[in-house]
Amino acid sequence: MKNDLEKYIKLCIKNDREGQLKIYQLFSPVLYGICLKYMKNEDDAKDVFQEAFVIVFQKISQYKFEGSFEGWLKRIFINKLIETLNKKKKESFFLDVFDPDTDFVEEEELDIIPIEQEKLLEYIRDLPDQYRTVFNLYVFEKLKHKEIAELLKISEGTSKSNLNRAKHILQKKILSIKNFKTA
Amino acid sequence: MKKQKIEDIFSSMENFSSVPPPELWAQIEEKLEKPKKKKRAILWWSAAACLLLGLMLNSIFHLNNTSGIKNINSNSLENNSVVLDSKKNNLEKNSTISTKENDNTLKSDPNIIVESPNELADSSDDQNQLENSNKSSKNKSNKSILDPKSNAVNKNQAVAEKTFISDDKNALNTDTKYQNLKDKKANSNKAVADHQFAPAKENLIKNASNNEDSKNSKNRTVNQAVAEKSFVPAKENLFNTDSKNQTATGKNRTVNQTVAEKSFVPTKENLFNTDSNNQTATGKNRTVNQTVAEKSFVPAKENSFTIDSKNQTATGKNRTVNQTVAEKSFVPAKENLFNTDSNNQTATGKNRTVNQTVAEKSFVPAKENLFNTDSKNQIANNKTKKTNQALAEQKISFGKQDQFNSPKKQLSNSIFDEQLLSKNNKNTAFNTTNPVLNGAENTVSESKTTQKSKNTADEKFIASTQKDNSKFNNAVLSKKDSVQLAELQNLEKGIIVPETKEEKETKAVKKGEKWAVAVFAGIANSENYKNEKTLGNVNDSKQTSTYGVKTKYKINKRWAVASGFKINELGQSVANVSYMSAKNNVFFTIGDNYAAQNLAAAPIATDSNYLLIPANTKEAVSSSNIQTGNLDQSLRYIEMPLEVSYSVFNKNKASINLNTGGFVGKLISNQVILDGTSLGQNVNANDYVYGSTLSSTLQYQVYKKTNVFVEPAVNYYINPLNSQSFNQFQWGLNFGLNVSF
Repeated sequence: MKNDLEKYIKLCIKNDREGQLKIYQLFSPVLYGICLKYMKNEDDAKDVFQEAFVIVFQKISQYKFEGSFEGWLKRIFINKLIETLNKKKKESFFLDVFDPDTDFVEEEELDIIPIEQEKLLEYIRDLPDQYRTVFNLYVFEKLKHKEIAELLKISEGTSKSNLNRAKHILQKKILSIKNFKTA
Repeated sequence: MKKQKIEDIFSSMENFSSVPPPELWAQIEEKLEKPKKKKRAILWWSAAACLLLGLMLNSIFHLNNTSGIKNINSNSLENNSVVLDSKKNNLEKNSTISTKENDNTLKSDPNIIVESPNELADSSDDQNQLENSNKSSKNKSNKSILDPKSNAVNKNQAVAEKTFISDDKNALNTDTKYQNLKDKKANSNKAVADHQFAPAKENLIKNASNNEDSKNSKNRTVNQAVAEKSFVPAKENLFNTDSKNQTATGKNRTVNQTVAEKSFVPTKENLFNTDSNNQTATGKNRTVNQTVAEKSFVPAKENSFTIDSKNQTATGKNRTVNQTVAEKSFVPAKENLFNTDSNNQTATGKNRTVNQTVAEKSFVPAKENLFNTDSKNQIANNKTKKTNQALAEQKISFGKQDQFNSPKKQLSNSIFDEQLLSKNNKNTAFNTTNPVLNGAENTVSESKTTQKSKNTADEKFIASTQKDNSKFNNAVLSKKDSVQLAELQNLEKGIIVPETKEEKETKAVKKGEKWAVAVFAGIANSENYKNEKTLGNVNDSKQTSTYGVKTKYKINKRWAVASGFKINELGQSVANVSYMSAKNNVFFTIGDNYAAQNLAAAPIATDSNYLLIPANTKEAVSSSNIQTGNLDQSLRYIEMPLEVSYSVFNKNKASINLNTGGFVGKLISNQVILDGTSLGQNVNANDYVYGSTLSSTLQYQVYKKTNVFVEPAVNYYINPLNSQSFNQFQWGLNFGLNVSF
């Protein structure tokens, strides 16, 4: 498997279409999943997915076979997603100042209820752009607030506040399901 | 009830994956093609622009310089009549040459115009060919032959090569109805689609033949449907090979083959059907049904391989081989079905049935992978050998279940439900059953199940990490999903560890292109900043051209060393130089001879026919033979610089470098020209010069590793001449291309 992957990467470096297709086939589901998590609507996700894959194939020669290839791909995708979201920044609402009184709310623990992935995805995508981005970076990419702040060019406080607000919104939605189920 | 945090609820989404719509790959492919052309065009245009700019600047400065000299000449027009005549002649010659050249270019133009219609004609031919190919793809060849006797050969062939159909259907049909009473018969149907692309709807390759042989003799039927590299993004791809054979007696051999190589059907379904109904009263009957799909890619829905054969054989040998082979099939979304069904009814005689379903390297991330090998056999007596085989080699199933079914009526069923623990499992479900004689029941059944699990250590590791991560996952995810999750988390651990700045810098130096090669051309202006004088006249600046190649080696992010070769010219022009031409010495007076012997300066040039007189002694010579002219001197060198470069600015695509260093030059050309007449070489010129240089490179990346740059520079020559003053400073402006690797 690993040898096959290396073979496909080398084919991609030679700009071989078959190798590119193999790489696409292997990693497209995971990467498309990431795009869906970061972008509000599917059309935007498709656009970023395409553009990022083009970048991947253009820059694949820069991959030095050190570390995980999937990780390298994910980094490119996340950078592209953030770049796209930054471009869209003006269009959406952002909370730029951290207010500890309103933003820092003690996180409640919720009862375990099985929720489908599609539903969870829907909740994430319903979040405002920056909340969603911060939430994704913090929860899924395991970045620290300092790193998120550098990446998104916001303050560390804003990052914390956005995450808190995102959690709050999600919490409300999950509680509403629970109430619906118990009712 | 157990409690959990928001992050925990959403942690199942960490490795969320979704199959992208199939049209995205086509769009990515399209985008990959575009920039190549665009960037190539930019590269060529920028190169052309650089050269043009270099040449234009050169010529502009050169023209300005020569016009200045002419003004000075006008003071001594009368004395220089002979020289001017020769100039005029030169001008006339030049003008005639240029007009001739113009004529030639004009003549050559029509040729270009004449050629273009041919090209147009060619392109129209191409269009015709395209139309033809479309037409041929829609061809339908039906032949119905009624032969009472003897040999009959019937070949139907529908071939579509490199077809592109954007709208509706692409149908390759080869139908034959054949009724043969006697004798030999060979019937072959072939439908071939090579490099076929049908984006819109459906791609049908059908091969059907109905054969009725009432009596006797050999009957051979070959049906073949071959699709190589077919691409059907929208709906369905059907490969059907049907044959109905009714043979009363004699040998009957039927070969049905459906081959799809590299088929790509992103949206809906890919169907490979090979059906044959054989009714043979007596004699040998051999039926081979084969469906081969190599490298098939069906992301959205289902990929089904179906081979059905119904054989009814009264007596005699009956051999049926059904084979479904799918190599490297990729079905991300739903299901992959391999069905091999055969219904055999054999009254007497040997009966051998081999059903085989082979899937090699099949990749089914989402849902299920089914291998079905069914056979219903009703055998009255005699020998029967039956082999059912379902093989899956290097199979990757991410999603749900994997089933190997090899059921047989009247046989014990074997179902292996596999729940895969790791991606690298090799699963083989292998059923071999040998039914024994008599009636409808088979008594012996053997089942072998082999499971090889590689990477057991990995599995243990995954299991241990799973424990850590699965506090709450089990509530949301299935066990299998959480194993995948743990595996992917391990993969990611090494990814998002943030790099320190130091690491980044060292990596940048490691990964960055260390070597660069630059080609450049430009202009240089030799200047006299020391107010040096030659023969009492001030040395003026002179415009020259320069070009060369340079290699650069990056030591680190900021510093680099560079060297190369450069052709450069150092020059000066001295106006109002007094001289006497010895060619006219027939008119020399005694005073002239005195001046020549005592007042003339030490010779500069190798040609001794001209005596140059310094400005301070000019008054002492009262001769009508003294002329005043313009003295141009140029020294051309091949130089090898050695420079150190420091990057002061580097952001995005632009960078600014400061370079300094020294050079050594070897004299390759040395000229002294007095009013357009060559006086030979300067006798004082040194063969080797040394100097220092200071420059600044303004660079901009135009393509991956290709940059264009402008380089203003100043050079100082230490020792161009050994006993004569000469311009030692030189300003330069170079334009060039730089490729790093």
